[in-house]
Amino acid sequence: MLKAPLEQFQILSLVNIKFLNLDFSITNFLLINILALTIFSSLIYLSSARVEASSFQKTSIYFNPNAWQKTIEGISEASAQLISDIITTDNQKYVPIISVVFNFILFSNLIGLIPYTFTATSHVIVTFTLSFSIFIGITIMTFEKYKMQGFALFLPANSSFFLALILVPIEFISYIARPISLGMRLFINLMAGHSLLKVIIGFAWSMLLLENLTSLGLILPMVIVVILFGLELGVALIQTYVFVILTCIYIQDGS
Amino acid sequence: MVMLPQSAKFIGAGLATIGLAGAGVGIGAVFSALVLGISRNPSLKDELFKMAILGFALTEAIALFVLMIVFLLLFAV
Repeated sequence: MLKAPLEQFQILSLVNIKFLNLDFSITNFLLINILALTIFSSLIYLSSARVEASSFQKTSIYFNPNAWQKTIEGISEASAQLISDIITTDNQKYVPIISVVFNFILFSNLIGLIPYTFTATSHVIVTFTLSFSIFIGITIMTFEKYKMQGFALFLPANSSFFLALILVPIEFISYIARPISLGMRLFINLMAGHSLLKVIIGFAWSMLLLENLTSLGLILPMVIVVILFGLELGVALIQTYVFVILTCIYIQDGS
Repeated sequence: MVMLPQSAKFIGAGLATIGLAGAGVGIGAVFSALVLGISRNPSLKDELFKMAILGFALTEAIALFVLMIVFLLLFAV
C-alpha cells in the first residue's frame, strides 16, 4: 500500500533488446524523450510564420507574425535574455548549450503534467547527468582559463591568514555541493509534486467508493487537485528558470 | 522495550518533517521583503520579482532536502 504513489515512476521496458550483456531495450522513458524532442521541433517548425515560395512577388518578405510566432520567439528569447543578463563577457558562445538545457527541462516538465505520461526529469539519473555534466564543463573551463590560479576561487578577498585557513575547506565543500544541489532541487520538486498529486487522487477515488451521499464528498479532493495542478504548472516553469539561472551564475563565477 | 524497525522508520520519518518549519519561515521572509521592496519603489516586473522567485526556489530546496531524508527513511533504509 505504501508503494502506490511511487509506481508511476517505474521504467517499463516495452521491447527487450539485450546485446552482449548490455540493455538496449526500448523503454517508456525513451519514448517520452523522443516525444519531447518531436513536440519541440514540430512546435517550432509548424507554428512559425513561413513565406510560401510561390507568392506573387518573389522578393516579398512581408509577412505578419501571428501570436504563435511571438510565443516561439518568447521561449528562445527567455534563455537568450538570461544569458545576456548574467554573463557579462563573451556570452554568445553559451547560447546553444543553455538554450538546449532550458528547452529540454521545460518540455519534459510540461509533458509530465499530462495524466498517464512519464516525467523524464523526475528521475535522479537525468537531473544528475545534466547538473554534473555542466559542473564538469564549468570546472574544466575555469582551470583552462586561469591555469593554477583557479584555486583562488575558494579564497574570498581581504581575509587574514587564520580566517583563510578555516574558510577554504568550507568554500571547497560548498563548491562540491553545487551540482548535487542543482540536480537534487529539480528532481525532488518534480517527484514530490507528482507523488502528492497521486496521493490526493487516491483519496478522491476511495471517497467515490463510500456509501450514499458521502461519496459526493469526492468534490473536495477534486478541487484540491485542480489547485495543486496549477501549482505544478508553476513549479514546472519555475524550476526550469532556476536551473538555468544558477547555471549562468556558475559560468559567470568561473570566467 | 523492543520496537520493530518498520515502526521506527515511520516514527523517524514523521519526526523529520519538523525541519520544514524553518523553510516555511524562510519563504515568508523572502516574500515579505519583496512586498516591502515593491511598496518603496514600484519597479516590479524588472528585477525584484525575478530575484524573489530565485530566492523562493533556493529556500524551497532546503525544504525538499528534508523531504528527501523522509523518503530515504521510508523507502530506502
